[in-house]
Formats: sequence, C-alpha cells, structure tokens
Amino acid sequence: MKPVAWIGQLTAGGLCCVGLAVMGHAAAVPAKAAMAQALLNRDFTHSSTPWLGAGVVPVARISVARLGVREVVLAGGTDQALAYGPTVVGAHAPGGRSRVVVMAAHRDTHFRFMRNMVVGDVVRVETTGGGASRYRVTRFQTVRWDQFTVPTAPKHRLLALATCYPFAGPGHRTLRRIAWAEAIS
Amino acid sequence: MPNRRLAFLSIAAACLASTSLSAAPTDAPGCGELMLHAKGVATQTPAVRLGTDFDVTVSGAIARVRVTQAFRNTSKGWMEASYLYPLPEDGAVDSLKMVVGQKIFVGHIKPRADAQKAYETAVTEGRQAGLVDQQRPDLFRTHVANVGPGQTVVIAIEFQAPVRQLSGEYALRLPLVAGPRYVAPHTLTAADGTPNQAALEDAAAITAPLADPALGKSLNPVTIEVHLNPGFVPANIISPYHPITVRDAGAEAREITLAAGDVPADRDFELRWRSASADPRIGLFRQEFAGQHYLMATITPPADRAIGQVPPREMVFVIDNSGSMAGASIEAAKASILYALGTLRPEDTFNIIRFDDTMTELFVHSVPASAEQLALAHHYVEALDAGGGTEMLPALKAALVDGSPGSTGVRQVVFLTDGEISNEGEMMAEIAAHGGRSRVFMIGIGSAPNQFLMHRMAEAGRGTYTNVAVREDVASKMTALLDRLKAPAVHDLAVAVGGAPLELTPARLPDLYAGEPLTLLGKGDRLQGHLTVTGMIGDKPWRQTVDLAGAADSPAIARLWAGARVADAEAQHSAGQLDDAQTDALIAKLGMDYGIVTRQTSLLAEDVTPVRPSGAALSREELPLLLPNGWDFDKLLGRVPAAANEAADTPEAPSEQLDLPQTSTNYAEALTRGLAMLVVGLIGVIALRLRKGEVA
Repeated sequence: MKPVAWIGQLTAGGLCCVGLAVMGHAAAVPAKAAMAQALLNRDFTHSSTPWLGAGVVPVARISVARLGVREVVLAGGTDQALAYGPTVVGAHAPGGRSRVVVMAAHRDTHFRFMRNMVVGDVVRVETTGGGASRYRVTRFQTVRWDQFTVPTAPKHRLLALATCYPFAGPGHRTLRRIAWAEAIS
Repeated sequence: MPNRRLAFLSIAAACLASTSLSAAPTDAPGCGELMLHAKGVATQTPAVRLGTDFDVTVSGAIARVRVTQAFRNTSKGWMEASYLYPLPEDGAVDSLKMVVGQKIFVGHIKPRADAQKAYETAVTEGRQAGLVDQQRPDLFRTHVANVGPGQTVVIAIEFQAPVRQLSGEYALRLPLVAGPRYVAPHTLTAADGTPNQAALEDAAAITAPLADPALGKSLNPVTIEVHLNPGFVPANIISPYHPITVRDAGAEAREITLAAGDVPADRDFELRWRSASADPRIGLFRQEFAGQHYLMATITPPADRAIGQVPPREMVFVIDNSGSMAGASIEAAKASILYALGTLRPEDTFNIIRFDDTMTELFVHSVPASAEQLALAHHYVEALDAGGGTEMLPALKAALVDGSPGSTGVRQVVFLTDGEISNEGEMMAEIAAHGGRSRVFMIGIGSAPNQFLMHRMAEAGRGTYTNVAVREDVASKMTALLDRLKAPAVHDLAVAVGGAPLELTPARLPDLYAGEPLTLLGKGDRLQGHLTVTGMIGDKPWRQTVDLAGAADSPAIARLWAGARVADAEAQHSAGQLDDAQTDALIAKLGMDYGIVTRQTSLLAEDVTPVRPSGAALSREELPLLLPNGWDFDKLLGRVPAAANEAADTPEAPSEQLDLPQTSTNYAEALTRGLAMLVVGLIGVIALRLRKGEVA
C-alpha cells in the first residue's frame, strides 16, 4: 500500500473512533442522569448514597403532576451533583431556615420540563425529613446568572426553579430562566 | 458563592457523617432538616443550658485550671448533650469529675475507642455518664448522657499549661469559643474518589451549630477567677479584652475576677502581667513521677543585643481574606500589613499573597521595596475584601517558593490568618517538607484564632506567633513582632546536660528571637549537674548555663512533658519521620501512662445504676456556639446584600444575590458532533477502499 493511502485510512479510521467516543460520552450524560434518578426515586428518604460523591445527598423530591415529573433533589450545588439531579442553590434547601427555596438543574436533562411549564402549575416538594409543601407557579423571569436575587423575608414562602436559557442552542450560557412559585397554604 | 460553599460543605459533610454513624441512635428528623438545624444555625434556645466557670491558679510559670461546665436540662424529657470548646493547645487535661446532686463520679483515662464504646453503652442503658475527648490539641468535646428533666449535671475537668513569656511580659490565654472552621473539600474525598469516611467524621466532630445572633449573647455564659502567685510582685496586670477586678491577696498574690460577673463565650480571655522588680528568676522546675525525673527550663535569649546594621531581607506577607475574616478581622489584618510595609527599606524585597478559596500573588516573585512598588502594595491591600472559603495550602506553597534557595540571606514569611481550617496537618507537613531557609511567622487575627495552628506552624517554620485581636492591637503587637524579626535570632541551638542524659522536647530546637524565651521539657533517670544551651547569634557563639540543683518542685512537670512529647510526635509525623500507626501508638501510650487526654485517649466518668426509666426516650442535642466577636454572620453564611430587582416581593424588600450554576450539558450537540465525525470518517474509509479497488 502507498504511504498516502495508508495515512488516509488511518485518519479516516481515527475519525470514526473519535466520533464514536464523543457520541458515547454525550450519550452517557442523559443515561447517567436518568439512571441516578431511577435509583434515587426507589427510596429517596434513605440517604445512604455514597456513590453520589462527597457532600452530595438527597434532600427533597419535587413533582409536577401535570407534566408527569418526579425528581429527587440533591444538596451540593456542584457540577457533580448536577449530573445526578436537580440541586439546591446556596443555603436555600427546603425545610430550612430560608423562606425561599432555590433549585437548579440542567436545561436538557432534569429541568427539561421547564420549557413546558405554565403559570398555575403546581409543584409539590417533599423533604427527606417527611415534610411536604405545595407551590403554585406565579411568573417566569429571565436573568443573568450573576444578577439573580431572592427576597430575604418574603410574605409567602417561595420556590424558584432555575435552568439555562434559551432552552436549546449553544448560546453564551449567561442567562437563566427562573420559574417562581408561591406556597399554597 | 464560595462562602456559601463553606457553610454548605461543612454542613453537608456533617450530614453525611451523621448518616454514616447510623449505629448511634439519633432523633434527627432526616438529612434535609439536619443540614440546617442540627449543624447549621440554631434559631431556638437549646433545651440544655450551659454555664462555664474557669478557676485558674498560676504558680510561677505554670497555670492549673479547673473548668466547670454545668449542663442544666430545661426540658421535660431526658437529654443527652454535647459541647465543643477550646482549651490552650499546650495544656494537658488530666482530671474529670462528674457531679450529679450529692454524688461525685471520678473519671478514668481510657483508650478513645473503649471510652466511646463504654459511653454509648451507658447511654443506651440509661446510666449517667460524662465523656471528654480531644478533636484537636486545642479543641475538646464534652458529652453528658441521661440528664433528667430539670436536672443539672456538672462536669469538672482540670488541666495545666505553661505561662507564656514575651519580652518580659507573662501571658495566660484562655480560649473561650471555637470559631466555625472551613473544611477543604479535597480533604473529604479519598484518593479513589469515594468519600473519606474518617475525614467526614472528623469534619462533624470539629464543627458545631452556630447560634443565630437573634438569640443574643446570653448563651453559654462564662465566669473566670484567677489566683495569681507568680513568685514575684506582679505589676501592670491587664486583660485587654475583658474588664477585670484585681484584689490583693498577699504581697505577691492577686485575685482577679471579671468585672462584669459573667461574660459571653465569644472571644478569648487574656491576662498579662509583669514583674515589679527588674529581673525575676523563675526559670527552673522539677518533678519526680513514677521513678523518672522531669525538668522544665526556660531559656531566655540575650535581650539587649545591639541590633546594628540589619542585612537586607525578603518578606512575604500572606493574608487570609476568606469569609471567616469578614468584619473586624480583615480590618486588623490589613492594618497589620500596611504597618509592616511602612517598615521596609529600599534594599529589602517583598511580595504579598492573598487567599480565600482562590489565591493571587501581587508580584510574580519578590520585588525591591521601592516607593512605586510599595504604593502598588498599599493600593492592593486596601482593596481587599473578605469572602469565600479558606484554601490555605496553595497560598502556603506559593509563599514557600524560594527564588534563590542557595542564598544565606534572611527570608521571612509573615502569615496573617484566623486559622479557621480543619486540615492543619497538611500545613505542618508542607512546612516540614518545603520550609527551606524560610522562617514562618504567624499572626493570629481576631478574637478567637486557631491557637493550635498558629503555634505549630510557627514552630515548624522556626518563627514565632503573635495575636492581633483588634485594630487597636496592631501598633503595639506589630512593633514588637517586627522588632523581633529585625534582630538576628539565636540559631543552631544545642542543649547539653552534664551528669545524666535527658529526653528533651521540643526535639527539634527552634531559633530564638529577642525577648522570646524557649521552654524546654526533659525527662531522665537523674537530674544532676548543669544544663548548657549553646547557639550562634549571627557568626558569634552564645551560651547559657543553669545549675539543675536550683530547680523548684512542681507537680505539673511530668504531664506537661507528656503533652509536649505528643506535640513532638505529631511534628515528627508531619515531617514523615513517624508513620500513622507509630504516631497513634506513641500518643496512645503517652496518654495512658500519664493519664492525659489526647486524640487517642479520653476521660470517662459513669454511674453504675440506670436512672432513666426504660420506657423514656432520650433526645440528643449539640449545643450551639456563639460566633466569635467581630465576625460578620451574614457574610460568613453568604447572605450578601444586593440591590433588589424584580425577583423581590416588593421592590424595596431586602434581597440577597445568588450565583446560579451553569446548567446545560449540551449533550445533544455533542452527540451530533460525534455523529458528524463518524459519518465523515466512514465516508473516508469507504472512499479509500473504492480507490484501492480501482488501483488494483
């Protein structure tokens, strides 16, 4: 075989391999996301989940009946936690001190449902401690990632769900879409 | 974001640790609740109230302290309480008594695991028990089990500690509160990526819930009484952080109490005194214990050395601007650096490194202290703001990078921090491994800095440490420290004992700075002849000799020696001379032989008869701690006030800014990209095959 053809074969073969690897890597993201949730959902109050990594533990479960969504929320706020499920942002965990609960998740895995959310949707939040509360979506907000603020002492308990915006396309990843919901007494 | 991560990680770690300790019964309502209530911020007054009394007797150069903690159960149920508190890091706790009504239970020293097990058994069997264990050389925890409704259980512990001497002044420091510590995330994960169980448990052990400032300062009140018998007529008795009342109790004795009666446990107590006469000689003590002879000798370097021409120096300042420094601390630290910058001469070189969970060096390497560079440095320091986690190791590594390691010039690293970290061991190891010719000087900032870290980093780095609590301290403390740094230190110290050999601590002798004596502790079969200390000041030899026959008897020396030997073992461990198992075994043996609390030995007192009815439930409570005075609660917990925007209920409502994480995986795009590569590759392969066929 001529060297030119040989190099061509090698390049083409290499390209196939890299392509497969990239695809495998990409396909692992939703697979990991879905599998983690399936495992967590089996018994979410039992928080012995060392496979999640240090500092990552289930703290709550959110469900939106209209959209058939049920997801276990993790503590941590790290990229690692985000790979497995929605996570609590800052010190805003449900059942905690703050009257505002803030959760974030990936726009293309766990919070994919946010693109179909409408005002009036009811979100149920159960904590691992056994508490449960319901929130009704009141409005949406688009904000830069570093300009998001939450009230420190709101009249009603609030829930904020955050994900990257726009929902698809590469974008600059600076904007976030927030769904604000108020507690239903 | 980072300072939120600080609170979060330590809390999450505690949470994980508590779930891993599932063998212990817990009434925690679950991890979600636990994270914010059990270890986070306590917004309600605890059911078990605590009052602490310190009774201190200073005899010569040694303080004997009795700490009495009264745990009062104000609830209607049975309680178990646990309380985290600091003690002087060079103290040796040797006695525990538990008092319940008329009954006194005397504590015994036990290997830590055995004590823990016996305590847990007492807990479940409904017997009353008190356990004291050590989390760090300066951090202890008391557990009391089965305190009945309305009942008070008193835990009394005793320890001794050497009195510190500095430039002719004597100082006794009682730390009263443990500040919240930053747990570096990397320490929580083992090498293989799984959570490090031991580190998680350790993180839980050294953290406690924080009392919400709304609860006021009345939690955990402290009373202090000092009986001062220094062996000379004391003068200039001052307590810089608490008002005191001083009463004469004889020619050379004073009784000191707090003017306010009781005070909140939110800052360290310090008492300082001098001698009314010029030159007190109280340097030598001895004790015979279990057939061995123990000695404590204070070696005072020559005070009035002519400083003369100070050779050019390199000074590297490292300033901690993490969240725990927010408030009064960062102001004191900034003022300290600015003061030190003012003393640099054009022939000196300097650099400034700041760190929180990130790090920046002002210059790539040290630069001459020209007017322009100093102006730049001033500007840089003044703009520093506190926030974020405390990743100290990278900053220390950077500070120890020596541009000219072969040089014989003086290189001084001045470290300004409150030391609120949990990975102290990593710092000592780094200095032991890469200290080189650099000398490390610690300036403990704030009302309750981590004394253990200050002392041991300075010791490992052959420097000294000092505390700057408030801005008002800066001028006096920094002048004294910079004077010490200027004068040539006594180096290449060696100690020889005529007569019989002595096992001395510290094993690795430090450099001696003007006005800062060295306390040596020794153990041997006999005490005879003279103790001779030799060293070099610059290139001139120096020696000091003391006659051992002149030593005064003191009952504290053997245990102080054992405590110092434990510290030596830890230092040898950091330097890689002892492995984990050897260190543990050595410390356990010292703890058992001398009856002192170490990280391997605990004191346990227990009743033999059950008091809690078998049907009655027991609630566990960990007592919340006040935030050290001057700390910024909101900043620490990441509640950074920001301008309100449309997210608030009303535009005027107070709000908080939150950074939102990056939340797109873009896996679909990656999938498409991969597919495109595969297609192009396949087309290439097919095209080449076809061409090959044609050629053939």
